[in-house]
Amino acid sequence: MVKEVEKAGFPVVILCNLIPVARSVGANKIVPTISIPYPLGDPATSKEEQYKLRRHRVEVALDALTEDIKEQTVFKVKI
Amino acid sequence: MKLEIGNFHVKDVCFGTETSFSNGTLIIDKQAAIDYIKEDEHITTCDIQIAKPGESIRIVPVKEAIEPRCRVNADHPLFPGVTGEVHPVGEGRTHALKGCSVLAVGEHWGSFGDGLIDMSGEGAKYSLFSSLINICLVADTDEEFERHEQQKKNRALRWGAHRLAEYLGNAVKELQPDDIEEYELGAITKRSAEVNALPSVVYVLQGQSQMEEDGYNDLVYGWDMNNYLPTLMHPNEIIDGAVISGSFMPCSSKWSTYDFQNNPTIKELYKEHGKSINFLGVIMSNLNVSLEQKERSAVYVAQIAKSLGADGAVLAEEGYGNPDADFIACFVALEDAGVKTVGVTNECTGRDGQSQPLVALDEKANAIVSCGNVSQLIRLPAMERVIGELEALSRDGLSGGWSGDEILGSSVKEDGSIIMENNAMFCGDQVSGWSPKTMTEF
Amino acid sequence: MKKAVLYINQFFAGVGGETEADFEPEIREGLVGPALELDKQLQNAEVTHTVICGDNFIGSNQEEAVKRILEGLEGIEFDIFFAGPAFQAGRYGSACGFICRAVREKFGVETVSSMHVENPGVLMFKKELYIAEGGHIAAKMRKDIKKMANIGDKLLAGETMLRAEAEEFFPRGIRHQFWPEEAKPAAIRAVEMLKKKLAGEEYQTELPIPKSDRVEIAKPVVDLSKARIALMNTGGIVPVDNPDKIQSASATRWGKYDISGMDHLESGVFKTIHAGFDPAAADADPNVIMPIDVMRAFEKEGKIGELYKDFYSTVGTGTTEAEARRMAQEIVVHMKEAQVDAVLMVST
Repeated sequence: MVKEVEKAGFPVVILCNLIPVARSVGANKIVPTISIPYPLGDPATSKEEQYKLRRHRVEVALDALTEDIKEQTVFKVKI
Repeated sequence: MKLEIGNFHVKDVCFGTETSFSNGTLIIDKQAAIDYIKEDEHITTCDIQIAKPGESIRIVPVKEAIEPRCRVNADHPLFPGVTGEVHPVGEGRTHALKGCSVLAVGEHWGSFGDGLIDMSGEGAKYSLFSSLINICLVADTDEEFERHEQQKKNRALRWGAHRLAEYLGNAVKELQPDDIEEYELGAITKRSAEVNALPSVVYVLQGQSQMEEDGYNDLVYGWDMNNYLPTLMHPNEIIDGAVISGSFMPCSSKWSTYDFQNNPTIKELYKEHGKSINFLGVIMSNLNVSLEQKERSAVYVAQIAKSLGADGAVLAEEGYGNPDADFIACFVALEDAGVKTVGVTNECTGRDGQSQPLVALDEKANAIVSCGNVSQLIRLPAMERVIGELEALSRDGLSGGWSGDEILGSSVKEDGSIIMENNAMFCGDQVSGWSPKTMTEF
Repeated sequence: MKKAVLYINQFFAGVGGETEADFEPEIREGLVGPALELDKQLQNAEVTHTVICGDNFIGSNQEEAVKRILEGLEGIEFDIFFAGPAFQAGRYGSACGFICRAVREKFGVETVSSMHVENPGVLMFKKELYIAEGGHIAAKMRKDIKKMANIGDKLLAGETMLRAEAEEFFPRGIRHQFWPEEAKPAAIRAVEMLKKKLAGEEYQTELPIPKSDRVEIAKPVVDLSKARIALMNTGGIVPVDNPDKIQSASATRWGKYDISGMDHLESGVFKTIHAGFDPAAADADPNVIMPIDVMRAFEKEGKIGELYKDFYSTVGTGTTEAEARRMAQEIVVHMKEAQVDAVLMVST
């Protein structure tokens, strides 16, 4: 899906857990998430921690939208 | 380590007054065998039925297959950690009843990982087990907690079949086998200069271990392979009962215990050992659910292969879908470590054959033996007799069956004919090495 | 006897060369040019009509040409449609492709062409029709027609599982299992392949890794603080009554949901309908899949210009590539109308 969106000219970042799958399908900008059922917030942690993690990863993805990359890139996250 | 497997070629199986083997015929004292199975009080009803190649019989839901065997020189259990306490295996003498298998068959209830076997007709080509005489343990259990669950542990039935296989195997404990196969592979550092000069090869097995709860995964010496890191094993351990099959994974991708006991790739590598290769051993790995676990196992496999000085590897996965990510990660890690690798897998290209064959791909995975398409649609006519319950295919969430489809209807038709995906063919894709199938462009 | 129709260009119809390339579509009863040979080779059908069209005409008036030909075919009974052979002629090859595609869609019959490997029509159309591996020049006419006829005969006889390698047509991207005549167990194939790989000899993988079809990287967002950003997900986040009836696996439907005035997604108002994972976490807090809460915060802080008022949802598990592509294309149309500048996609 992400490929069709990019083909149409939209800058797009995919946030997902299975990076190799995103790589295989040809996504260009990839930001890792923490799991399949809860990509952006581990229910075993507090609401505050979940929000912090989600805010961080979404921010990395937003900044990735502005990056002028030349090849497929997996962006690094800190939390 | 040296293992002798004494083969008794079974030409016929029938019921009689005493469980025994002579002149190629295995006679089973049915009542005594049932009494033995029923020592496990979780088995509530139990029957034994025999299905022979060429008969018009459909068997479903099949949960497990085991080759009947016994240990000759020791009183140890056939499956350590499963049918008894833990003992090392792979050495000494084991007797095997060849040409037959014990099947665990649900009297009524099926589950996601169960499969179907047709003993004759068009459907026979989809499973190796159509070519064997199948001694079917058909039973129901008191496992109420999972009776209507799609995922079942099937513990009582699977353990019952393991015990029945051992029980029947004991019939040939004291007898002279028809022939003896020897499997001897010395310590890696103590091999001759000629053998050491050959390219050295490991066999990497990725057994199924994706369920986080105990009771569904492959077991090694009775240990759940979800909580496990890749380990070097002697090939004799694999073919001598150290590993049993689990109760998860769409069935055509599954490796039954019979597949481990008779793994054809191990036999092929043995055949080439000392001639064209130096067979180092087996790296037993697993399949996981999270990316980190997948990568950790790949790191371990590559490290072990590299530390052993392996030049090449055969890598096989017991699954499809997200396990493809484990398979590709391991393939890439081995190639990056300088180990030339050949992968063995099946594909999921969809009913239309047009989907990406594996969910993860990498150009480094440049040598693959492909064994089938899990999602191929198969239509088969009715059989005269069903062992088990045909409705299980459509009712119980078997991976290749369905109760209703907008176009295809139910998997089971009123006249007993069926439509299903290859997914539910019992151990049909034979990635452990039998598969005569491959994939091609149409 | 079943019936066949052949499409050819003005040159092979004997109308003329480049000067006649504007020749308008015409359907003639009977056999013209290559149709004679095709009719001779074809066992299971007779060729009843020949469609002729100038390469330039269809090249510059493609829709019109296709429309006229389809109209002309309406009154004619046929069971299979052939086009070419087009050899290495690019315009002719793509004309064959366009017309076969349209005929197949409208009349539901199989279509067969023939082209040289370097004809651009091969890449454009090999997935949609049977294209026999043809020669590069017209001297190969007889051979190419023979191959087309062979494929046609098998299709007419009801065989649809034709192996590309055996029948010499370009692989259509359709992979299925099969049993080779000399069945060799996978174990032997694997060890043989490994021995060759170790020895540096050539071997043939049974699963050629398709060249990953990368799309051009879109131009980056210049100023995030002015950008309108849309969220998408394949985790099946929908209003609790699932108004678009998106399927929980093998989805063919998608939905867009208005979040105007919401500063987060409320549990009990939104949920996931994805069958491929445990839904507990996303049901309890849908923001773990669709992070509306943090996007609103970034909007307030001025990091982004605007969070677009709708987010888009479907379910990824078991969904075929073809369906996913179609749904994405539909969503793209909507996003263009909405003047979205950039997209974040959360995939489960």
